[in-house]
Amino acid sequence: MSSRNLLVALAGQPNSGKSTVFNLLTGARQHVANYPGVTVEKKTGSFGVKGTSVKLVDLPGTYSLTSYSLEERVARDFLLGDSPDVVIDVADASNLKRSLYLTLQLLEMEVPTVLGLNMMDVAERRGQRINTDKLQDILGIPVVPTKAKRGEGKDALKEAVYSLAGNAGPSFKIDYGKLEAYISELEELLVEDPVLSVLYPVRWFAIKLLEGDSETAELLKKTHPDAQSVLDRTDSCRQRFQDEDGNACERHIAFTRHASCAKVTRETVTLPTEKRRNLSDLADRYVCNRVLGPLILIAILFVLYEVSIVFGNWLALQAWPLWGALESFFADILPQAGFLNDPLLRSLGLWVVKSLTAILNYLPIFFLLFSLIAVLEDSGYMPRMAFILDRLFRRFGLHGQSTLPLILGGVYVGGCAIPGVMATKAIPDERARLATIMIVPMMNCLAKVPLYLILIGAYFPDVAGVAMFFIATVTLFMALPVAKILSITVLKKRPSAPFIMEMPPYHIPTITGVLRRAIERVWLFMKKIVTVVAAVAVVVFVLINYPGLTSSRTAYYEDMQDTAVAVFMKDVNKTEFKDVIRSHDVLPIILFGEALKNAKRKITDKNMSAAINEEFQAGNPIYYAVIKRVGKDAKKLNKSLKKVIQVRKKVRREARAERFETSFLGSMGKALEPVTQWAGFNWRINIALLSAFAAKENSAATLGSIYGIDGSDQSVQDSMKAGEIGFTSLHALALMLFMALYPPCVPTSIMVRSQTNSTSWMLFSIGYQTLLGLFVSSLVFTGATVLGLTGFQAMWAFYALCVLATLVMAMIPNPEERKAASAAIITPCKENCS
Amino acid sequence: MKKMMIVLTLAAMVAFAGQAFAHSPLMSCFDNGDGTITCEGGFSDGSSASGVKMHIQDGEGTSILETKMNEDSECSFAKPASAYVVIFDSGEGHTVELNGADIVE
Repeated sequence: MSSRNLLVALAGQPNSGKSTVFNLLTGARQHVANYPGVTVEKKTGSFGVKGTSVKLVDLPGTYSLTSYSLEERVARDFLLGDSPDVVIDVADASNLKRSLYLTLQLLEMEVPTVLGLNMMDVAERRGQRINTDKLQDILGIPVVPTKAKRGEGKDALKEAVYSLAGNAGPSFKIDYGKLEAYISELEELLVEDPVLSVLYPVRWFAIKLLEGDSETAELLKKTHPDAQSVLDRTDSCRQRFQDEDGNACERHIAFTRHASCAKVTRETVTLPTEKRRNLSDLADRYVCNRVLGPLILIAILFVLYEVSIVFGNWLALQAWPLWGALESFFADILPQAGFLNDPLLRSLGLWVVKSLTAILNYLPIFFLLFSLIAVLEDSGYMPRMAFILDRLFRRFGLHGQSTLPLILGGVYVGGCAIPGVMATKAIPDERARLATIMIVPMMNCLAKVPLYLILIGAYFPDVAGVAMFFIATVTLFMALPVAKILSITVLKKRPSAPFIMEMPPYHIPTITGVLRRAIERVWLFMKKIVTVVAAVAVVVFVLINYPGLTSSRTAYYEDMQDTAVAVFMKDVNKTEFKDVIRSHDVLPIILFGEALKNAKRKITDKNMSAAINEEFQAGNPIYYAVIKRVGKDAKKLNKSLKKVIQVRKKVRREARAERFETSFLGSMGKALEPVTQWAGFNWRINIALLSAFAAKENSAATLGSIYGIDGSDQSVQDSMKAGEIGFTSLHALALMLFMALYPPCVPTSIMVRSQTNSTSWMLFSIGYQTLLGLFVSSLVFTGATVLGLTGFQAMWAFYALCVLATLVMAMIPNPEERKAASAAIITPCKENCS
Repeated sequence: MKKMMIVLTLAAMVAFAGQAFAHSPLMSCFDNGDGTITCEGGFSDGSSASGVKMHIQDGEGTSILETKMNEDSECSFAKPASAYVVIFDSGEGHTVELNGADIVE
């Protein structure tokens, strides 16, 4: 062998243990990127064998190499375009028949292939015996049994790759029977093109054309001088074959391939004599049952929800001190606070840190969620779940695999659109994938909940439970019709794919496998989001703080501050602290008190508390005396100090609110009032909604800071009610609905861009949801006003309307249903699952 | 189809029994040393706790004082003579409880 480097691709079906084999071969030497132009992850690694360096590229897991899904296209393009020296095809030995479907297609593409028979342990456990020598003879390629999970077969696999490199491609051919004549007919035409016949295997090309593969037709147009005549001949071949055989070409080809897989399997695999159905099939009788299936699904989703969201929330609370400590750490190292205004570096720094900790707080939830999803994936339940729901989701232009993104986004209350959009990656159907991306942000993410709670608490207190149920469920009835409308309009031209997903046998997930995947995803998520959030926080900071207060208003607040300090100094001069404490000491004393308070946060032990006191006393005995009321004069002074502290808090609060209202964002809110009045939104609400675009959790905080300004012991809800004369439950309903449909927050929008790989889709997603939100809330508000409905009545009238829309949309057939294509390919997967 | 819808709706209802909230409630209390206690409330996402209900109860769970967080998300009250518990109540299932014995000077 030469000393040149080898390029090796790793192919395999999902659940065949491909990733384990990849890790086995490359160890820690891995690099993750995306395939150019698409968001499919490209994992590369390297290993050495006999002095030759091998670059290993992990292809996306695919069941076949037709071009239905993005993954399949990516895998095929890599095989054709990058011409790897060797392809390792990882097969699930315990399910050889299914795995061979991909193998045979690789052989058809005439790439030098090593068949890695993985999961031999599972096959052995099931009592299956595989005659690898015979398999090797039939297929004409090296076959290497491996047990990647246990680390067995690494060297044999490397050895096989090494010896195969440089050899010609395999010679195995599927006999397509009656179709062979047509294949030869096309082959003759194709060899006339010197470029094409060098670039691609001619027989494979002919078969693909007969299969009606549109991408191959495109390739043909690029290279062949007279592509049209070849395409015409292809059509004629397809027509003549159908007339002769009665079956469409693609059906015949798929059938023949399946039959070949079955034949090879029969010849090489000895099944256990006892012909009992294996456990997986037995379990599927219940799991995929028409009645039991959905019930089991609900039970599993319920557990998923309880553990990740409910328990996760509890866990988040336990983890909070960590983030709280991060906040106080930055509060300590940033420049000290002022009396009225803080230095820019401090206020901006704390704002960014606060924005980050708000996201970090969700970390336990994400971790649990991602772990449980890894369990669902590894156990093999995920495809079953998709199968069960596919029947339903198809009607709305979605896909069985849309389930997970919608759950993550918050089908019921409490999700996050970011991981939701991220999870759409797995959907093989381009149209359904985009439709899912477009509706995931309409789900009820965690951050929308506080606003709902405020509004329901203020305007629907007697029917709070029902109102919450309304908003929690109506979103799905809005999202499903929207998905359908999108898929039959803007998304109509996007390629769709039939539901091809064979049911892998159930596995018991390993703890390390689950943890590794969960940590990987959490890390990826944090990396993407944290940077975006930090950047967005800076922009929002500018928008809500500038242009700032006018000089006369600043003077007004400063005057209040000076008066308070003067009163305090008068008191100082009546005590022993005269000439010891001067007016420039006032702020340091206040900050000293705050520092002491922060030091003692979460301290419950008396001795520890005393130790902290001593430390502070040693630091500054005079300040300490005033704060901790040491001595008679200090006690008096402490009372006076409390008044100053109160004034400081008041001026800071009021100045902040005023700055906010006159800020760029505030002005925008006012400017939008003429449009939003039809939905019943005034400028205050507009401001809250605008700030929510930055991150949903801002809405409640912003409303709080706008409405919480004048109340003494009023809650935000009360002061909102009082502050908005004429604000009725109808306004609240319109606001809730707008919030539900509100455009995705900035981090989600970024994720939409990265998943669709297109800025225009991101803008579309923002635009249509804003318009839809305005339309729906205006419809409800103006409509109900005209009809004289109360908020509660309007709520259920709208609910009925949405359910009706959902049912009507379900009745409209999809474009595919009219054609009823590809039925043949769906059949084999349904066999496994009732 | 319809059956699925009903099933899904039920699922939502069942799941809703355990309401989830976006932000974690936070509260710290301090003994001012002058016979008063001050509690500060808030939420992990920075939301104001202004208006959140505060319950002060004695050892047996009998209410001593019912009050609310003020506009600065603070609440001060006279330190009860005997054992007491401070409860920050921002909604069902979303409360923080602090034992008076753990509030040190």
